[in-house]
Amino acid sequence: MRRRSGNPGSVFPGIALVGGLLAAPLFLPLYHVNLLTEVIVFALYAVSYNLLLGYAGLLSFGHAMFFGTGAYVTAVALAHLPGLSVGSAILLSVAAATLAGVVTGALLLRHKGSYFALLTLAFNALFYAVATKWHSVTGGDDGLSVNRPNLDFLGVHLDLSDITTFYYFALITVGALIGYCWHFTHTAMGRTVLLVRENEERMKFLGYDTNISRLLLFTFTGALAGCAGSYYALFFEFTSISAISIEMTTTVLLMTFIGGTGSFLGPVLGALVYTLLHDKLSDITDRWPLIMGLIFIVMVLYVPGGLSGLIVSIRERLAGTAGKNAAQPLEGRKP
Amino acid sequence: MRKLSCALLALGVLFGLLTTGALAADTIKLGVVEPLSGTFKDIGERYLAGVQYAADEINAAGGLLGRKVEVIPIDSEVKPDVATRKATKLILKEGVNFFCGGTGSSVGAAMSALMEKQGGLFFTYGMDAASLTGEKCNRHFFRPGGSTDGRSYALAQWVVKNGYKRVAGIAQDYSFGQEAMAAFKKKLKELDPTVEMVAELYHPLGTKDYAPYISQLIAAEPEVVFTSNWGNDLMLLLKQGKPMGLKAKFVCYYANDDVLIKGIADDEAVIGSIGAEVYMLSIPTEANKAFVKKYHEAKGHYPTWLIGKGYTATMFWAEAVKKAGTTNVRKVIQAWEGLSYDGPAGTWTMRACDHQAQVPYWIGEIVKENPFFDHAYVADATMIPAEDVAVPCEETGCKAMGK
Repeated sequence: MRRRSGNPGSVFPGIALVGGLLAAPLFLPLYHVNLLTEVIVFALYAVSYNLLLGYAGLLSFGHAMFFGTGAYVTAVALAHLPGLSVGSAILLSVAAATLAGVVTGALLLRHKGSYFALLTLAFNALFYAVATKWHSVTGGDDGLSVNRPNLDFLGVHLDLSDITTFYYFALITVGALIGYCWHFTHTAMGRTVLLVRENEERMKFLGYDTNISRLLLFTFTGALAGCAGSYYALFFEFTSISAISIEMTTTVLLMTFIGGTGSFLGPVLGALVYTLLHDKLSDITDRWPLIMGLIFIVMVLYVPGGLSGLIVSIRERLAGTAGKNAAQPLEGRKP
Repeated sequence: MRKLSCALLALGVLFGLLTTGALAADTIKLGVVEPLSGTFKDIGERYLAGVQYAADEINAAGGLLGRKVEVIPIDSEVKPDVATRKATKLILKEGVNFFCGGTGSSVGAAMSALMEKQGGLFFTYGMDAASLTGEKCNRHFFRPGGSTDGRSYALAQWVVKNGYKRVAGIAQDYSFGQEAMAAFKKKLKELDPTVEMVAELYHPLGTKDYAPYISQLIAAEPEVVFTSNWGNDLMLLLKQGKPMGLKAKFVCYYANDDVLIKGIADDEAVIGSIGAEVYMLSIPTEANKAFVKKYHEAKGHYPTWLIGKGYTATMFWAEAVKKAGTTNVRKVIQAWEGLSYDGPAGTWTMRACDHQAQVPYWIGEIVKENPFFDHAYVADATMIPAEDVAVPCEETGCKAMGK
């Protein structure tokens, strides 16, 4: 992982990555630019999930409820509020997901471990049922189509219906958000979450209200997922019940596991690999979920640190510093 | 100087000829968006078989505009996001302009929106939701096939024509079932105000035990029972109805399905039921008889229901491309609007105001003896003319067709 101390050797790949992403539309065919936009949207979703799973140690099967809420709020808002700007639609989604996060979090976080996990599953099913049954608003099984408005911001006018323009829009805004998440993990609040995961009793003795920390984090990740959902709706220009279904949770779970829960950028890598694999595999066979499932099993059994863990351990082995808990999240792990 | 420009011109012409030559050797690609895995795999594959057969027939007759039609199957998994993702890929990577599909109105709505944005064309032969050519209509979406309105109207026509007075209805409790029932009731009232709806029942999707509903139906003493149920919900309803003592005839949306009748495995339970479709194996026209014979000879099975619908719609699309004389989407849209096609199921006319084809419906009663199967199947179909089931342009709710 990159550390905050400015080691030039570790900054370089970062610059190369950002430069590569910015230049991507210049050399990639349009289809791949489109695919990359999808990766960016899912990267945000996966990062938000990893904050919950990797950092706070909360296994949730209900992350899609926030993602779906975001997607539906964007779709409904754009359909019913003429002249609504892209930014406002996204903000509305984030607000709705935040609200959903506070309410469900207050109810869910009374429980821990598998009780928490199963309750999140139940809540997701509740959200799914609302989306299916509330036909007059959500369109039920038919879904809602979304008209992506153009961006008018501070005198800048951008035609977002253009694939490349939307790519840059997503890259810059989502990139900034992911950057903020990275920053968040280094704030006092971010550290608290990590320490609560490691030793909750001790944090309580130190005077922290661990329930509040958890609720804040849960709400924060919900808001991020809602934001990702909003981008998803804008990207596909359509919202359907699949955005809020359990499958959307398993998707993010797969991405996070493939990428690795142990590092901040692992889920981003997971989103990239998952999306590309999905794209290629579904070309070859209709049974691609089977292959995805096998990959998941192999990852969990043999590479619990995910791809990022694998990369770190290879790099450390090459550098001759093997054996340093590569799969453990964050360098900030305290004894 | 002049020599140079002449040479350049010649070079240009040569280049132009070469590239058109290359284009002519190209195929016309048609993406078929169907569920090819999962629960609805069987439905998707039958539709696809119909489209594929149409393409084979066109290609055997020299192709379309001199080019072969290439069918590209796309597994939609009946999910709009999956369908649009794969379609986008084909549009951007291979320049595919034409798509069709028959399963899942949500897929249809998403494809319709995608086509409008990407400048493609989508036609459906099986997505029945009226709203697709109603409020959600756009110029890039065509429906050479039936709709909930048309089908409900056709069945209402049949009920009134046969003089039934006591009618009951049972439908799945979601948007489709409600839409179908509402349209049926509306037309019934319009045609004959003395007909009485003696029961109107809704049950959850995927109901297994129909006993409580069937006893309510028996208590209401209807002469006919209308149902828009499909899949298992239709199969179980029919299977449980007669044995429980329900004597009324079922008038159904989807009874002309050989797979369903075979699945019920009890001819007595289905004999006497009525089905309405835009295509049926038993349509008594010469064109249909010829089509059925040819298909059966080629494939060894009959082009029932979905296969026939997929085939007819694809042939209609091909007519539009032929008339346009180009694969330019805008030109094809223009050519298709107002076009008529004489196919196995009678004359279909594509209406410009909403892109809903005006098609006759065929109604058939299920009988024991039929020339196609060992089990019961629909007998010779009678036609309900297109104008009797038409929804006037002003009532569709479609506003996006302004020229």
